[in-house]
Amino acid sequence: MAKTDKDILDDAKLDTELEAFFEAGCAASPVPSDALMAAIVEDAQTHQPTSQTVAAPAQRRSFWREFLSQIGGWPSVAGMATATIAGVWIGFADPVQLETWSGGVVLSGNYDGAETIYSTEDLAPSYFGTSLIIEEEG
Amino acid sequence: MALDAYAAGSDEALLILYGNGDPSAAQILTARLAPRVLGYASRLLGGDRAEAEDVTQEAMLRLWKQAPNWRQGEAKVTTWLYKVVSNLCTDRLRKRRSVDIDAIEEPADEAPSVVDGMMQRDRAEALQDALMQLPERQRIAVSLRHLEGASNPEIADVLEISVEAVESLTARGKRALAAALAGRREELGYGEDR
Repeated sequence: MAKTDKDILDDAKLDTELEAFFEAGCAASPVPSDALMAAIVEDAQTHQPTSQTVAAPAQRRSFWREFLSQIGGWPSVAGMATATIAGVWIGFADPVQLETWSGGVVLSGNYDGAETIYSTEDLAPSYFGTSLIIEEEG
Repeated sequence: MALDAYAAGSDEALLILYGNGDPSAAQILTARLAPRVLGYASRLLGGDRAEAEDVTQEAMLRLWKQAPNWRQGEAKVTTWLYKVVSNLCTDRLRKRRSVDIDAIEEPADEAPSVVDGMMQRDRAEALQDALMQLPERQRIAVSLRHLEGASNPEIADVLEISVEAVESLTARGKRALAAALAGRREELGYGEDR
């Protein structure tokens, strides 16, 4: 709400009336005792952060330690080692069972023949979209 | 850094220096801020010096603890302190009200003050009595504006209200003060000043 001229006059009159009291009040401000000042400074020293806690320098890590933390630590290394050994074993041992599982694709290298074993619909039933199914039912 | 250079620094700059582990900043800040905090606390607490000293130490302690997390440019250090002191004093006044009010002795001000002459002292006491008759928020607004020299936006920050609300609060406070002091003006030699 904007002040009217009367409000401004009233404020000025009030300030004049109270001025001497405010001046006396300001002059009567208590002076802190030496004991209080000493206690405050002591508190300040007790709770002052050391420069170490303010800015702890970042520790430099070696390349291998950093690499290890990036790939997920020692469990990831174990997983990768297992996968590597399995790959080498498959390469050398030429296991027949694996050939059976893959339908003669993996070890024979006969990728053209794969189409006769698996049709596209077997591997990706949604490949042709739903329109064909609707047509069939249709 | 020489102490003279510190003395020229702002409160905020000194607080950041303190937060960074500088040993001298706290002394300058204490010398600069403790008297203001004590004066303000004393006014809000009706002149009870012992309690005002406790509040001053507590408010300054909170400032030291706040230093490492101080957000630059967000608030003035004095405004932050006035807010803390206002809250601490409000808590103490509430506790005091819940205790038997007659059991509290009239505070004896033993500390040296710079009041010049009996009349000035009587006026200051009359003002203090009148301030204590005001509602709490009016007392805070009037004290900050007219005794601590704070600006209206600063008071608005302390009380968490708009500047317009501060103006209204201060005006009502001053009217109430004038009414409370009206009967004592002649007695306190107010007429002689004019």
